[in-house]
Amino acid sequence: MTRSFLSIRAVRKTFGAFVAVHDVTIDVPKGEFLTFLGPSGSGKSTTLYAIAGFQDPSSGDVLLEDRSLLSVPSHKRNIGMVFQRYTLFPHLSVAENVAFPLRVRRRPDAEVKRKVADMLALVRLENFADRHPGALSGGQQQRVALARALAYDPPILLMDEPLSALDKKLRQEIQAEIRRIHRETGVTILYVTHDQEEALHLSDRIALFREGRIEQIGTGEDLYLRPASEFVAGFIGNSNFLAAEHLETAGGAATIRLADGSIVKGVKTTQAFDRGQKARLMVRPEAFRLTPGPASAELAVEFIDAAFFGDRRRVVMRTAGGEELDVRPTSDAAEPHGPDSGRRIFFDPAVAFLFPA
Amino acid sequence: MLLDYDRLGWLRVALVGFTAAVAAFLLLPVVFIVLLSFGSSRWLAFPPPGWTLKWYQQLLDDPTWIDAALTSARIAAMAAILAVVIGLFASFSLVRGEFRGRQVLRGLLLTPMVLPVVVFAIAIYAFFLRIGLAGTTVGFVIAHTILALPFAIIPITAALEGFDKSIEDAAIVCGASPLQARLRITLPSIRIGIFSAAIFSFLASWDEVVVAIFMASPTLQTLPVKIWGSLRADLSPVVAAASSLLVGLTLCLMIVTALLRRKLSR
Repeated sequence: MTRSFLSIRAVRKTFGAFVAVHDVTIDVPKGEFLTFLGPSGSGKSTTLYAIAGFQDPSSGDVLLEDRSLLSVPSHKRNIGMVFQRYTLFPHLSVAENVAFPLRVRRRPDAEVKRKVADMLALVRLENFADRHPGALSGGQQQRVALARALAYDPPILLMDEPLSALDKKLRQEIQAEIRRIHRETGVTILYVTHDQEEALHLSDRIALFREGRIEQIGTGEDLYLRPASEFVAGFIGNSNFLAAEHLETAGGAATIRLADGSIVKGVKTTQAFDRGQKARLMVRPEAFRLTPGPASAELAVEFIDAAFFGDRRRVVMRTAGGEELDVRPTSDAAEPHGPDSGRRIFFDPAVAFLFPA
Repeated sequence: MLLDYDRLGWLRVALVGFTAAVAAFLLLPVVFIVLLSFGSSRWLAFPPPGWTLKWYQQLLDDPTWIDAALTSARIAAMAAILAVVIGLFASFSLVRGEFRGRQVLRGLLLTPMVLPVVVFAIAIYAFFLRIGLAGTTVGFVIAHTILALPFAIIPITAALEGFDKSIEDAAIVCGASPLQARLRITLPSIRIGIFSAAIFSFLASWDEVVVAIFMASPTLQTLPVKIWGSLRADLSPVVAAASSLLVGLTLCLMIVTALLRRKLSR
């Protein structure tokens, strides 16, 4: 048996006939930042609540350093948690909020005082110690909540969409704070979000949930560059999907026919296809080129629209089969990008993926 | 909005006039009582021929009045404490509980507010006669607690519904037992509701007269009962003075409540 730090073993949660979580198994090494990513209702929060103790799994086990947590009541699990909603205690000052977990543990006053100062310094809110939560912005409240959750040095910190109530700019700011705090404290973090950018920005590994199951678990690069399914490819990053027909596969490279009849060779795939099986070809927007290169496949397209986004351009094209393509060449590329930019675009089949239709 | 105050035009004048008339209709009798309590006429003549404090003097010199006021305060305080405690438990189960008949229970607990008081009074009097609680302080407090309960439950359930349960969950994750979390986090967070409940329950008992008449005995009289009795025996301006004090104290409580609520919800 491997001695992993936190081990989620075949956790299953049913509500009546509805299965919210299907036998989810994950091993989390100490110090990892693991994100549960997925659409709402995919079981990611339910799994987190099972670890926190707010929901008992129907079957399965959660082990922390080889000891089961399930028989331990929530308040004795010694786990830190930051919630989606603002959960600061409204009648206590910022410092008293952070001190609360230490006070219920009856730590000596001097230690409480020192720890509160340390924690407020960690989240950079030293000057707000005497404020009440009502006088703080949403971002500040979540930083205090973070300080409160870390004050008692929990082995695991759970975060349930802590930034979803904040606006985009603030979200990015606090993401950077969370990264820094993870680096400085080395705490193991389980983070739930439905925002793939947030997941990519923060995590060591991402577990992508779909309908109560883990669709794929791996680093952000794994999920983006080596998606295990069309769902993963569609959820992480932007993707174009083209209808295709599988012809043959040799050595992990498939030959396919696209809707316009053109043949593309050397497409990456990890799955087995039958001859003539309907399939979908995934090409990332940034994989398209407006000029031919080595090992290029090409598509006949019609120009629809173009927009400039600073670091990238975004061009909308339509294939002969009527499929709209999202094409994002880098903006400094000396590539033509207007309506006169020709009738063909190019991509490297080795960075395209084939999935069953 | 169709009935936007700023767009009513001349109707605004009519609306203000009507509102003022209603307010005057409701408040003028109280004002007259207060004025008459300072009037020198033995027969409550208005306008009074002169001004005097002698009715207040008589009131304070009469131990039966003082007794009645103290009895009122004692019973109202006990009823308020009981109503708030029971109201807290009831509200937690009404707001947090997931059981069948929750709405029925809520309706049942609020019936004392809609049931004709005299019906309730007769019923509980008959019951207390049988079990020997009639005319006792215990019986009085029980009856008033039942009457005050809706006034405790309404503000507490409202406060509890407005309190995010996640905050309590956060306290539990922080290491507080569920009981500690409720005592140290939830109760202080809904203190405005609890405070309102206490004041309203106190007032519900303090100025209640119908049930009080049934519960009273010659040695156990609350202020409203004493006033009622005096009105029937001899119509003396002392009654006006007592009524004015009753109104004054109620007014003070309302003002204190308003000020405290503002301070607490800062």
